Amino acid sequence: MIKTDLLVVGAGPAGMAASISAAKNGINVILLEENERVGGQLIKQTHRFFGSQKEHAGIRGIHIAEDLKKEIESYKNIELMLSATLMGIYEDGIFTVLKDDKMIKIKPEKTIMATGAFEKYLLFENNDLPGIYGAGAVQTLMNINGVLPAKKVLMIGSGNIGLIVSYQLMQAGVEIAGVIEASNKIGGYMVHAAKLKRLGVPIYTSHTIEKAIGNERVEGALLHKLDSNWNKIEGSEFEIDCDCICLAVGLSPLTDILFQSGCAVKYLPELGGYVPYRDEHLETSIKGLYVAGDVSGIEEATGAMVEGEIAGLHVAGTLKQDDKIFERIKEMKEELRSLRAGPVGHKIREGLSKLYDEIYVEEDEFPEVYDIEFFRKTGTPSEENLKAVMPDEERLNKGPVAVTECFQRIPCDPCVYSCPYNAIKPFEDMNELPEVIFEKCIGCGICVGKCPGLAIFVLNKNYSETTSTVTLPYEFLPKPAKESIVDVLDRSGAKICEGKIIRILDGKAQDKTSIVTVEVPKEFYNQARNIKVVL
Amino acid sequence: MMKEENIVICRCEDFTLKELRELLEQGFNTVEEIKRVARLGMGPCQGKTCGPLIKREIAKYTKQKIEDLDREASRPPYGGIMFGQVVGDDIEK
Amino acid sequence: MRIEQHPILDFKRGNKIHFTFDGKEVFGYEGETISAALHASDIVKLSESFRTHRPRGLFCAIGHCSSCLMTVDGIPNVRICVTNVKDGMIVESQKPRGGIV
Repeated sequence: MIKTDLLVVGAGPAGMAASISAAKNGINVILLEENERVGGQLIKQTHRFFGSQKEHAGIRGIHIAEDLKKEIESYKNIELMLSATLMGIYEDGIFTVLKDDKMIKIKPEKTIMATGAFEKYLLFENNDLPGIYGAGAVQTLMNINGVLPAKKVLMIGSGNIGLIVSYQLMQAGVEIAGVIEASNKIGGYMVHAAKLKRLGVPIYTSHTIEKAIGNERVEGALLHKLDSNWNKIEGSEFEIDCDCICLAVGLSPLTDILFQSGCAVKYLPELGGYVPYRDEHLETSIKGLYVAGDVSGIEEATGAMVEGEIAGLHVAGTLKQDDKIFERIKEMKEELRSLRAGPVGHKIREGLSKLYDEIYVEEDEFPEVYDIEFFRKTGTPSEENLKAVMPDEERLNKGPVAVTECFQRIPCDPCVYSCPYNAIKPFEDMNELPEVIFEKCIGCGICVGKCPGLAIFVLNKNYSETTSTVTLPYEFLPKPAKESIVDVLDRSGAKICEGKIIRILDGKAQDKTSIVTVEVPKEFYNQARNIKVVL
Repeated sequence: MMKEENIVICRCEDFTLKELRELLEQGFNTVEEIKRVARLGMGPCQGKTCGPLIKREIAKYTKQKIEDLDREASRPPYGGIMFGQVVGDDIEK
Repeated sequence: MRIEQHPILDFKRGNKIHFTFDGKEVFGYEGETISAALHASDIVKLSESFRTHRPRGLFCAIGHCSSCLMTVDGIPNVRICVTNVKDGMIVESQKPRGGIV
C-alpha cells in the first residue's frame, strides 16, 4: 500500500495545475494518468488561449501543455504515474489503481479528481457509420498523429469546439462542407465564427442532420431545416457531400469513477450532466475529496487550470496551515469569478447557482456593449458594429491604424499587453472590449499576431493614390511570397479582388501567426479581411 | 420522421432507438431495468455513449425530468480488467 | 493519408515499422497508435456490430467509447486507439465480443 499526502487523478490541465500548486507548497503528490503522456486534451489545442495574460492567455494550448509538463517534472515531490488507471474508490479511503498489469493500492490524505469529460453522442439515422467521429477523435488524428481525418468534414455543432476544430481541420488541409447548428444562433465565440466565415465555410443555423449516407463509410449527409419550435420544416431536406461527420454536440463530465465514492451529485444540463456538489474550494460532500476541471462542470481549459490551482492550494493550506496559501486562494477565486462574469459565463453561473441554492444573478456584470444579434446569426459583424470601431476619416487618412473587430464580451486581455506603444486602453477587467487610442497607434501590426481571436487588422487607407493596405493574421500553408499576387476575400470568404503581398512578418516572435500586409484597390480597404494563395 | 430502426442508441450492445422505445412500451422504465433486460450500459464503454440518451428517452416517455430519474449503480472495478491483473502478486505489500 | 506539412505543428515520426491487419501488411511509425496507422492507410471500417453486422469504425479515439476493440497479438478486446504499433504486430478485427481465450 502506498501512502501519500495528495492523489491527483488525471493529468490534464486541471490535474497538472493542481499537482503543481500543491507540490509548490511542500505537499507530496502522486499524479495518476491513464494515458502514456500528460496533457489531456490540452496537447491537441493548437490555437491561442483566451483568459487573462496572467494565466497563459495568448499562448497556444500545445505550448501551455509543454510548460506545465516541464514544471511537473521539476518537482521531486510529484510522483507521476503514467499508464495507470484508477479502478476503484473504497469507503476506507483506499484507491485501487491498475498499473503495469498489477493492482496497487494507494491511501492518500486528500484526493483531487480531475478526470475531465467525454463527448456526447447524437441520434440520427445511420449514426454509427465509419467516418462519424467525435471532435476529440478528429483532433487526435490530425494534431497528435499527423493523419488526415478525412477530405471533407461536416461539423455538427457550432459551439467553441465545433468552430475551433473546423478551423484546425482547414489548417490541416481538410475542406469543411459546413458547420451545422440546430439553434438559430452560433453557439461559440463570435471571433471563432468570423475566422471560419472569412475562409468561406458555410454555417447553417437552424439546421440539423437527419441521416448519414453511405454503405461502408460516410459518403454524405441529409440535412433539414428547423422551425422556431425545433421541428423539422417538411420539404427542407437537402444532401451534402462529405466523407466524415464530426460530432461536436457537447461534453459531459466523466464522473463514473467519482460516483463510486458516494459523493452527492446533481443533474445540471447547464454544466453538461451529473456534477458533484462541492464547496467554493471544490471539496465534495466527501471530506478530503476534491474535484477540478471539466469533471466538476463543463467549462473552458482556462477555468479548469484555475480550479485545479484552487483545489491544490486548498489541500496544501489545510495540510500545512499556512495563511499565505489562503491569500493566494482568494486571488484565484477572484480570477475564476472574473472568467465567468460576462455573458459567455451565463450558463455556468446559472448551473452553479442551482448547485449552491444561491439566488441566480441573471444579469451579467458586463452586459454586451454592441448589438451582436446579426453577428450571432451570420458569423459576420453588422455594419453598425464595424462603424463603431473605425477611426474617423482624418485618422484613417493620416497613416496605418489598428482596428479591433472584437464585439463580444469574452474574458480575454492579451491585446492590451501586446502594444509596444500602449495604444490599447488598459482593462480593469478582462471582460472589457479593446479600445484603440488612435492618436498613439502607429499601425505596427504587433497586436495583429497577438490577438487569440485573430480579430485585429491594420488599415493603411492612403498607402498610395489608388491603393490601400490591409495587415491581417494568416495561419495557413502555403505562405504567400512577398510581391506575389493573391486572391483577396471579404468577411464572408467571397473573393472581392486580387492583391499584392507587400510584407510578411514570420519570425519566432510571431509563433506561426504570419502577419501579412496586402495591397488592395482603395475601394476594398474595409472589406478585405483574408487572402487565398493561388498557386 | 427519422427511421428509428436505423438510429443506433447503444453502440456496444448494437441496440436501436426503435428497440429501446419498444422496451419502454413493454414497461421497462428505469435505467436499471433496461440495463438488466437488454444489457444497455453494460458493454465495454459502460454507458458513457448511450447513458445520457437513454435517460432522455426514459424521461420523455415517463414524463419526468432527467434529474428525477434513478441513476445507475457504480461499482468497482472501473473499466475492463483481467483476472491476472487482480490476482497477480501473491504477497500483499 | 498523413499530413506532411502543417502551419503550426511539426510531426516528428519515429522509425517506420510494419504490422499486419487481417493478414494485410500495413506500415506505421513508432509512437503511433494502431488506429492512426490504419486510418493513414485509409482503413476506416474496423469491425461489424455483433448483432446486425453494421460496419463500424472509430468514434472517440481516446479510449472511452470502446468502438475500436481488436485482437492484438492474440489478446482480444484491445483498444487500438490508445495502443501503439510495434514492428511485427498481428492485428485482427473481431466481432465485438472477442473470444474467451
